[in-house]
Amino acid sequence: MPHSHIVSSFDEDLNQLRSRIFNMAELVSKQFSEAEKALVERDLTLANLVRENDKQVDQMEIEIEKTAIELIATRAPMADDLREIISAIKISNALERVGDYAKNLSKRVVVLNETKNFDANYSVISQMIDIVNNMNKDVIDAYINRKSDKALSVWSRDLVVDNLYDTLFRELLTYMMENPKYITPATHLLFVAKNIERAGDHITNIAELIYYIVEGKPLELTRPKGDNSSETNVEFGD
Amino acid sequence: MVTEMNIQSPSNTANSETGTITPKMIARKVNVHYGSNHALKDINLDIAPNEVTALIGPSGCGKSTFLRCLNRMNDTIDICRVDGSITLDGQNINDKKLDVVQLRARVGMVFQKPNPFPKSIYDNIAYGPRIHGIARNKDELDDIVHSSLRKAGLWDEVHDRLDASGTSLSGGQQQRLCIARTIAIEPEVILMDEPCSALDPIATAIIEELIEELKNRYAIVIVTHSMQQAARISQKTAFFHLGRLMEHGDTAAIFTNPTHEKTKDYITGRYG
Repeated sequence: MPHSHIVSSFDEDLNQLRSRIFNMAELVSKQFSEAEKALVERDLTLANLVRENDKQVDQMEIEIEKTAIELIATRAPMADDLREIISAIKISNALERVGDYAKNLSKRVVVLNETKNFDANYSVISQMIDIVNNMNKDVIDAYINRKSDKALSVWSRDLVVDNLYDTLFRELLTYMMENPKYITPATHLLFVAKNIERAGDHITNIAELIYYIVEGKPLELTRPKGDNSSETNVEFGD
Repeated sequence: MVTEMNIQSPSNTANSETGTITPKMIARKVNVHYGSNHALKDINLDIAPNEVTALIGPSGCGKSTFLRCLNRMNDTIDICRVDGSITLDGQNINDKKLDVVQLRARVGMVFQKPNPFPKSIYDNIAYGPRIHGIARNKDELDDIVHSSLRKAGLWDEVHDRLDASGTSLSGGQQQRLCIARTIAIEPEVILMDEPCSALDPIATAIIEELIEELKNRYAIVIVTHSMQQAARISQKTAFFHLGRLMEHGDTAAIFTNPTHEKTKDYITGRYG
């Protein structure tokens, strides 16, 4: 860990910024878990609670930005301090997007609840959310402990989420081809899966920011891509 | 045989063959002793033309000592010994045959505390051109005084009172007068030893704006205790610590991602 600042209140300010990021990541993770529960258990009350709590996530982003801007104005940070503070703004922005996806998931609970006779494959969705939540937990651990290797391991796990999304995409297409009645619920579920996949992308961005904070240079590796849905074409048979 | 080194002033500093910029000054293995105190240890540093090089580091690190080596100001200290090589346009400035007065005309200096002569504003600037015989007549001298004041950004404030004493000006104006005095003898390098430390933020900003302009004509080396100032005005930064040059390079790189732990601790205000 770096040495302490001579002006100890600067260390206190930076610690406060870190704990704000930590709390935001915790809340976003909880939002995702509850959105999953609301989806799988068809719990509309819980879904509405997740939507309501998203305001809190948004508020946290505003507070982190404000703290970071004040630190830049008052402390004139340099080197790793500067990288950390600029990255805090970007990390909170990414977390806010992840929070939005949890909210969007919850929104779709209403319409999915209204669908009859559609045996949705929630196990893949649950699996995706579990992985994304674990990535989120580990990325924040890497942030707090300044571990670029741990950030890299999170970064490489996004491939699993992409692959699961790709699998689910094909499966849902098959449902839709089988019976046009499934088009509405399957499309909604596809959006749910896409939201989770995008959340994974944002957490991967956070992993890249942590690598930058710790190493002082951007990660130059090419991100592994497992989502081939944009190139997938399944045609109806004659 | 060379009896006096009347150094030519090559203005073309770009090497047309390689496209690289030839440094204006080159210091190699510079060691300075004050008696038994080894103040500078094996300093290697290039000073680029048309750039601001900032020397930073904690008190006693040797940055001012190094600055003073660049125009042999250390000659005035009896117990000071300078070893190694420092060249200006390829010529060794520590050569015994070199005319130190001429060297200091080419490598001018601005000090921490503004030190105008107790003479009129006009005479403060005319002094250098007079003793160096730069002006042939009164008109030429007037031109030099006026243009130096303009280049130093002081003309508008003093043009109607050139007979007033230099010491009657404000601190920031006095410092700009000293800069005008330095550029009146057409130097190629300007050394500045904490030129803003005695000035308020507005006067500091005016000097910084001036440095930005001056770098188009001169190589500038500035010692500063303000990291923010170094970051704002310099293109290259050199960090000194306990008489050694720990790290130097592009200012943007030094202040966002320093290589050396000591540099990082210093610029971020940490215990090293």
